[in-house]
Amino acid sequence: MSDAELPSSTGPTAQDDFEPVSVFEDSEMDLRPGADNCYKCSVCDTTCPVAEVDDEFPGPKFQGPEQWRLKRKEDDVEIDDSIMSCSNCMRCDDACPSGVPLSQMHNTARGAYVDEQMTKLSREYVRNRILANYGTLARLGSKVPRLTNFVMGNSLVQKVNETLLGITAERDFPEFATQTFREWWAERGGPQVRSEDKRVAYFHGCYSNYNTPEVGKAMVRVFEAFGYEVAVPRQRCSGTPMFANGMLDDAERAASVNVSELSDLLEEGYDVIASCTSCSMSLRQEYPELFQLSGIEEVAENTYESLEYLRIHEDLDGALADASVDEQAFAYHAPCHARNQGLDRQAVELFREVDGVEMEDVGDSCSGISGTYGWKEEKYETSMKIGDDMFEHMHDAAGEVGMTECPTCSMQMEHGTGYEIKHPLQLLEDALC
Amino acid sequence: MPIRDDVVVVGGGLAGSMAALSAAESGAQVRLISHKKSTLRQASGLVDVLGAVDGEAPISDPFAAVDRLPETHPYRIVGVEGIREGLRRFDDVVGDSYRGSHTDRNALVPTHGGTIKPTARYPVSVAPGLASAEEDTLLVGFRGLTDFDAVAAADHLAATGVPFDVDGAVVDFPIRFRDDARTTRLAQALDNDQDDVRDRLAEAVAAELDGHARVGFPAMLGDDHGPAVRAHLEDRLGATVFQIPTGPPSLLGMHLEDLLIDALERAEIRLSTGNRAVGYETADGRLTAVTVDRRGQTVPYHADQVVLATGGLVGKGIDSDRETVVEPLFDCHVPHPEDRYEWSEAEAFGDHAFARFGVVPDDDLRPTDAGGDVHFPNLRAAGGVLGGADVATEKSAAGVSIATGSYAGRRAGEEAAQ
Amino acid sequence: MHQQMSNAPSVLVIGGGSTGCGIVRDLAMRGLDATLVEKGNLTHGTTGRMHGLLHSGGRYAVSDQSSATECIEENRVLRRIATHCVEMTGGLFVQRPEDEDEYFQKKLEGCRECGIPAEVLSAEEAREIEPHLAGDIERAIRVPDGAVDPFRLCVANAADASRHGARVETHAEVTDVLIEDGAVVGVEVEHDSGEGSFVHGDDGEREEIYADHVINATGAWAGRIGEMAGVDVAVRPSKGVMTIMNVRQVDTVINRCKPKGDADIVVPHETTCILGTTDEEVDDPEDYPEEGWEVDMMIDTLSDLVPMLSEARTIRSFWGVRPLYEPPEVASEDPTDITRDFFLLDHDDRDDLPGLTSIVGGKLTTYRLMAEKISDHVCDRLGVDAECRTAEEPLPGSEDFSVLRDWMDEFGLRSPIGRRSAERLGSRMDEVIGEWDGPNPTVCECEAVTRAEIHDAIEGAGSELNAVRLRTRASMGNCQGAFCCHRMANELVPEYDEVVARDALDDLYQERWKGERHALWGQQLSQAMLKHMLHATTMNRDADPATTGEPVEFGAFDSGPDASVAPDAGAESAGNSDDAVADGGTPGSGGTDADS
Repeated sequence: MSDAELPSSTGPTAQDDFEPVSVFEDSEMDLRPGADNCYKCSVCDTTCPVAEVDDEFPGPKFQGPEQWRLKRKEDDVEIDDSIMSCSNCMRCDDACPSGVPLSQMHNTARGAYVDEQMTKLSREYVRNRILANYGTLARLGSKVPRLTNFVMGNSLVQKVNETLLGITAERDFPEFATQTFREWWAERGGPQVRSEDKRVAYFHGCYSNYNTPEVGKAMVRVFEAFGYEVAVPRQRCSGTPMFANGMLDDAERAASVNVSELSDLLEEGYDVIASCTSCSMSLRQEYPELFQLSGIEEVAENTYESLEYLRIHEDLDGALADASVDEQAFAYHAPCHARNQGLDRQAVELFREVDGVEMEDVGDSCSGISGTYGWKEEKYETSMKIGDDMFEHMHDAAGEVGMTECPTCSMQMEHGTGYEIKHPLQLLEDALC
Repeated sequence: MPIRDDVVVVGGGLAGSMAALSAAESGAQVRLISHKKSTLRQASGLVDVLGAVDGEAPISDPFAAVDRLPETHPYRIVGVEGIREGLRRFDDVVGDSYRGSHTDRNALVPTHGGTIKPTARYPVSVAPGLASAEEDTLLVGFRGLTDFDAVAAADHLAATGVPFDVDGAVVDFPIRFRDDARTTRLAQALDNDQDDVRDRLAEAVAAELDGHARVGFPAMLGDDHGPAVRAHLEDRLGATVFQIPTGPPSLLGMHLEDLLIDALERAEIRLSTGNRAVGYETADGRLTAVTVDRRGQTVPYHADQVVLATGGLVGKGIDSDRETVVEPLFDCHVPHPEDRYEWSEAEAFGDHAFARFGVVPDDDLRPTDAGGDVHFPNLRAAGGVLGGADVATEKSAAGVSIATGSYAGRRAGEEAAQ
Repeated sequence: MHQQMSNAPSVLVIGGGSTGCGIVRDLAMRGLDATLVEKGNLTHGTTGRMHGLLHSGGRYAVSDQSSATECIEENRVLRRIATHCVEMTGGLFVQRPEDEDEYFQKKLEGCRECGIPAEVLSAEEAREIEPHLAGDIERAIRVPDGAVDPFRLCVANAADASRHGARVETHAEVTDVLIEDGAVVGVEVEHDSGEGSFVHGDDGEREEIYADHVINATGAWAGRIGEMAGVDVAVRPSKGVMTIMNVRQVDTVINRCKPKGDADIVVPHETTCILGTTDEEVDDPEDYPEEGWEVDMMIDTLSDLVPMLSEARTIRSFWGVRPLYEPPEVASEDPTDITRDFFLLDHDDRDDLPGLTSIVGGKLTTYRLMAEKISDHVCDRLGVDAECRTAEEPLPGSEDFSVLRDWMDEFGLRSPIGRRSAERLGSRMDEVIGEWDGPNPTVCECEAVTRAEIHDAIEGAGSELNAVRLRTRASMGNCQGAFCCHRMANELVPEYDEVVARDALDDLYQERWKGERHALWGQQLSQAMLKHMLHATTMNRDADPATTGEPVEFGAFDSGPDASVAPDAGAESAGNSDDAVADGGTPGSGGTDADS
């Protein structure tokens, strides 16, 4: 495209989401007009979990609209380095009553900062790059899962990781499954249910493929039980860890593969389903905000989270009304990224009625890990402080099994309480299949 | 499967929450749709019912003054009984966290700007600081916090004629945080008693204490463990400790929001947050659904009755451009002068028309169109989206939200039951 | 009354705009005993209400080539001596499809004739510099336009003048021109709050100031001063609107390449863009209509150049009055025809009234040259032989400085805040921020103004928060003071009394409101409502008993659940709320209003 895309607003229709204004494909995004929506109410600051525990962090209002508004185009050094302390939890987006594109501003600022102000040979950069490209490393590591698990679980290795790279030794590396989801899918021969008009393309994400394939399996079984034909396209990382680390080029490369593959399936009548709320967040919001790939809008509009999709398209309430499971109590945590998609209540409301299930929400705080954030040695303590509230509520709750849609939240929940953590899809599978 | 409820309330602020709770009481299945966090976080956490009428301020009995409001004022529609009903429900929601229900009289509360303001309900931590209580007072501010200057506030308070001696002292917050640390950070430090901050603060304040019976701080004495923080300080200081409500970011406003959410969850009201209501569906001239945007696609939420509680100009329930003022969701009529220079007055605190912008309700709180006909028979409106009240000047914002929210919700629930 | 400190001749300058400040600096540097009096804050007149454009001269390259040549010369000088007041943004003269090629050529040639560097750019090249230019522009001419902050410029000139021994008095209005034996010998002024810094509430006083020569540099008010002296100076004030956008949609000065007309320029200014302007003659430089259609015209017309302006947020609009002068015999009908050239009127030569010289017309870009000329003239008259060095010596703040420092390391500031502060303070950064003791929080978050800078401004401005605003830009950002007005007032205490701070806050709040009224729709209307709620509801400043002076019957209000107020005591006095004031409320709660 060669013409400026105007911020959309035909007459006084209330706040449309701010449209990125960009002219040339490689010119820098100018988000100063996004500051027009800000009326300085500071509500975003009140919801920022990092600002609450880290006084070095000035909060989203400064990181976003204030910092952008103070910028001049030819400035060399522009972005304050505190942008790297933003965990990209995106709660600020969910809070802003005025529609300021906070996460878009933060992601763009972070990308610019990493591009222009971070030394590419610095330990921080190298470490962030590694964490951001977890998907690539996982692909390698999963080829020899037992060896990888053994090596990564070795405390000496963890210590070296910490000293050399700055990856905290406090956390246990997630284990690789002996058979990935994709391997299982190939082994079972792909979809077992065919349909002309009920088709979903599964975006499994890195974690459900390499580490917790049982989530992917649950997804397939549940959807097939409802008569859907499932496709599992070729896919790369959704980009979530890359945004959080300012590696926008890496994210774009991955996005172009994803958009291409998913677009093809959309044309054949598929909708896109993700089981990880960060993957769905990325495809629905960050993709169209940050990239201009052909077909990206359609992919964004037709991506759903797994439970969300069933609630809209099937009588999930009805199906669950007759279901019953063995007595179990869960402590549910809504991932921050789920909030922005309006999904924070769905698990609790859905399962409240199921016989045998006790589902308690452990509050609306952030889990603290925020993807790669809590894996960084210098951020580990902050991430645990943020998670304090959640750990406390988990202990207070009746259940000793945690539940959440986000893989890293799940790591944090386990790390802080020792509980086993499940995905709602697994409970759904239990109840319906 | 279509999502179906008896009553859908659009807007999760004070009015919307009260409407949802009220509707649920009649047994209706209620869903509350909210896009973002409510404007309560910007507000002081106080509940003003009516503080000024006809240039007389502060008034001590809000209920007696309702008659002096214009006929089109929301209070005149729901009546004094409607206000009382709303406050009863509110008192249930907040329980012990608020005071003020023991009397019809307004209280005078110190503001962070230093004067006093009339209000009807106030958080328990604010209660010991009422201006009508004749106790010598020390106000304490923090050197790094620009919003509240304790010395100026104390002098200002004295200038209003309060019946007690008041002094101000500025101390350093015992932990040296970065200059732009958020108040949530300071509150958290007090919550966790980080580095013995409570004792150290008490020590710094004790040095300024001189026979004062009570000590007032800007409202940031802890977030989750406020009572413990205050009790600790009171113990060390030998004086009562109270909080002064602030502007945004307002921890007291956040607490009120939390109390409302707790009440909504207890009442098992369905909450759909995070997505914006963008449209509606109708059949036979009645609303059948509110449609919600989920990134490019819309999802209908079906309901028999709808309550519009999307807020005013601040909550974005009322919007404007250079030519017109509108209610963007249902396109309800919002009267406004044609010349936009008549939307405001030359005096900064003049009688601004824009402060009264909003929809025009009938006597059942249903928005009407320009001709006076009801816009949709099953649509009601509550709170800031209603016109006819300059809630800023009147000091009536929370009261209008509570009274009209309660009323509209109750009526919606009653209608849905039929 | 001040006495002459030396045998140096004394000069009194009336008018604290760019011309006056420039003159007093020049004269003080030449060793004269100089005094400046200004009725309001520095830049009260046209200077404070101008576009912020540092002309390359391009705008006059066709119609007024002598002005154009002066502009480009002074443009170069100011870039050197006023670095912290000037931003070299560059400028473009943009041709739209409906604009004539012939004029484009004339513009280009005119620039070259006047020595203004001019380069033709294709539409693509122009949009590479400014991506938000309309998609259908033809081409553009690039010239060295810049952006200037007039407030900082005047403050710096006045500060330098003071440094060289001059006396600068603001809030000192000339009430009479003193004439003895047919010559002007001085003026009588009314100090709003006594000599020195302005302090709200202090009593005024009159003073007679004598001088060997008086310079009338009052711009649009030149005629008024002339009248006091009995001479005729026919200034023809003409108003023009300026609409301020919330953000910088462009970082270059964008001019429309067509013959002079309304709404043909967008100037980036600090954190905003200023759209301008109109040209309508007015009778009174202080009382003229501010009309909405002018604002609408700015937005609608300039959207042809920068389309996103049509939906972008404006934060206020203001009007300025050009102090146009033309020799009476020219008598132009259309104010746009009046020359922008400046005129030196020696009233001895012209009106047989020695001791007074007026300087009229001109523009901010050439202020220094105007000052030099009139200083030369006056020195000549007074027999002073001294060189003008104003083009060589940098202004205070414009000595060597960099905006690229480690702000966090050196000053504990976040980089954008450090950078903005340095852009304003220039070489005074170390002195103002570096030497600040104690916490240095940000007072105005929109414009990144820290406490140290506010206090530096208070030192120069007294309790006048509007003057503090002009020096620092605090309250000039998107919230228009909603969140920082009261913080600024807080900073006045304890140096000033709380009552002073309260008055100052009211003044600032009202001043911000005046201009904001012109932007009240969309996001700015929501902003204004939030401001209103914060100040009226949360702070109750609109019914503050301390200000209204109305006694409050504290006993009639809730004093707590444990107080001895019977629950229905309220009902008793409910019917006669007037009586509640007089009667002591309820039994046991005492408290009459006698001493409030």
